[in-house]
Amino acid sequence: MEKKLNDLIDKALSRRKFLAGAGTAAAGAMIVGCNSSTPAPTTTPTPTPTPLDIPDNDILNFALNLEYLEAEFYLYATTGSGLSTADALSGAGTTIVPQGIAAVPWTNSSFAQYANEIAQDELDHVRAIQAAIKANSGTPVPRPALDLTFFAPLAVAAGITNPSPFNPFLSTNAFLVGAFVFEDVGVTAYTGAAPLISNNAILSAAAGIQATEAYHAAEIRTLLVAGAAQTNDQTYVNLANQVSTLRGNISVASGNKLAAETQLGTMSIVAADGNAIAYARTTDQVLHIVYGGASGVGVAKGGFFPNGLNGNISVTAS
Amino acid sequence: MATLETQQLDEIIVNTRRKMLTMGGAALAALAFGSTRKAEAQAAAINDFDILNFALNLEYLEAQFYNLAVYGVTIDKLPTPIPISVNGGTGGSVTLSPSFAAVPFALPLVKAYATETAGEEGKHVLFLQQALSTNAVSMPNIDLFNSFNTLATVAGLGTSFNPFMDDAHFLIGAYVFEDVGVSAYHGAAGLIADKTNILPAAVGIHAVEAYHAGLIRTTIAGLDAAGSPLPTGTLTSYTQAISKARSALANPDPTNPITVPFTTFTGSGADDIGVQTTPVALNASTSIYTAATIVDCDLNAMGWSRTTSQVLAIVTGTAPTAASPHEGVFFPNGMNGTIN
Repeated sequence: MEKKLNDLIDKALSRRKFLAGAGTAAAGAMIVGCNSSTPAPTTTPTPTPTPLDIPDNDILNFALNLEYLEAEFYLYATTGSGLSTADALSGAGTTIVPQGIAAVPWTNSSFAQYANEIAQDELDHVRAIQAAIKANSGTPVPRPALDLTFFAPLAVAAGITNPSPFNPFLSTNAFLVGAFVFEDVGVTAYTGAAPLISNNAILSAAAGIQATEAYHAAEIRTLLVAGAAQTNDQTYVNLANQVSTLRGNISVASGNKLAAETQLGTMSIVAADGNAIAYARTTDQVLHIVYGGASGVGVAKGGFFPNGLNGNISVTAS
Repeated sequence: MATLETQQLDEIIVNTRRKMLTMGGAALAALAFGSTRKAEAQAAAINDFDILNFALNLEYLEAQFYNLAVYGVTIDKLPTPIPISVNGGTGGSVTLSPSFAAVPFALPLVKAYATETAGEEGKHVLFLQQALSTNAVSMPNIDLFNSFNTLATVAGLGTSFNPFMDDAHFLIGAYVFEDVGVSAYHGAAGLIADKTNILPAAVGIHAVEAYHAGLIRTTIAGLDAAGSPLPTGTLTSYTQAISKARSALANPDPTNPITVPFTTFTGSGADDIGVQTTPVALNASTSIYTAATIVDCDLNAMGWSRTTSQVLAIVTGTAPTAASPHEGVFFPNGMNGTIN
């Protein structure tokens, strides 16, 4: 940790020295543009390699696939049906759902209101990202084929034997565990992707969505913990933690040295590292999780995405 | 030698400067009319360390609030102290009620949440101090007594408000800070030039602040529905009043001066929403469903972004365009650092 911090500080310092030179040039240029006088000093800064090589629209389409999955899940949970044809876009894949699916039979209206809010937020994210890609001269991908019955095998992989088969649409508590499967993954995905974005307006949009996903994640984690305390029954907190362990193991298997998970408890609502900084996942780590855990290079589909993600980021490279 | 790299960096720098120019009308006007050297010098001088120091001031505030709530002592008096005086500076003081004591928590879950948050905000202080190293600023003077009374008055919640009184008042006190922290880190993200080393940490802290805000807002909603013991609806009405106050402070309308309390603020430029309910359409064509508003976000379901000037306005009770240093409310003598 000490070494990591020192490295960070060293890099920051050398970077800053470099930026100080470039900054003066840019400042000079701006002032010339504004009100005359001093010619801009010409400096030739030493280039520092920066990994800005993934096109923003590829990252946005990657995020769009995840938002389709979340929106579809929450819309089925709240209304018993999924995205409209207009929102899924032309060429959308089909969504496999548990037999006889209907809206979750909420234990009270508060839970319905919480779920309605998240469903609307995720739908808004779908629309906002589609618009952002178009505004950035790109083409938003349609909804890929989705499989919302994958919760059952995922639960088995996590060691959850009761209820079996696991179906997040059958009760409020099962829904909370289902939501738990997605929300922290969304946060880590945006935390990992945001620094890769080169356009500052798109970075700001990604940060805005990241915040909303973290609000959601905290909400779901708080509701699970508070519900367990109220009923003196840790069953569903334990189920969530089995999911968390599985996600951590998948991340480790795909090359993350950290488990990238914080077990849920009354004193650990926030999922973060030892510096209280949220975990970041690479696109590969996210793919391994949503594809159901197969490790290695070249995993192209599986899990919640039976035909893979749409777009240029869809096959694991590590 | 204009490589792709230098072009990209120039773009970042120019974008950063553009963003800074939108920070305040006064600074912009000063540049446009070519006057006030101070504004020019200040804009040109802002770098990543200034932004991190701005964040450090906010983290000092949050860390003091939560640690005082749980342990009854300031962060420098904890068993494992967190420094408030760094790099030869002298840390400020924290103004508290003469009868201050830690929150007498009655609800174990709320105490657990407070304890977790106290630890995490303390870690943010330490992390930023270490990342800034010799550039880190000391803690400025902080007020956690008169500040809440002032805020209560402007938000129409009465003339005094003690966030250390009980669980419910503590949650409202926490509510005051968390969403502001989220919007501040969001706004700062676009200003950060070093996207390799600094930005990942900043977006990681941004997410944790949003976790805290989601935790607090969910807990307020639950406690309010159950009777806090204040009558049901009281806590959520407090959050709405505070959100209106924050929004009005951050987005003052020159044609419609801020009144006290903010009951008339309708907010064309509103950038804050309290804990309430709102109609939504979901996949239907009309808004036939009722949704909670646990997330503090805009119509695109994106968290709000605030400029440093807007954040300064909220935490000091000044106008965003006021001359630096912004002083008052939580920072009676202003923040330490270049952005103040």
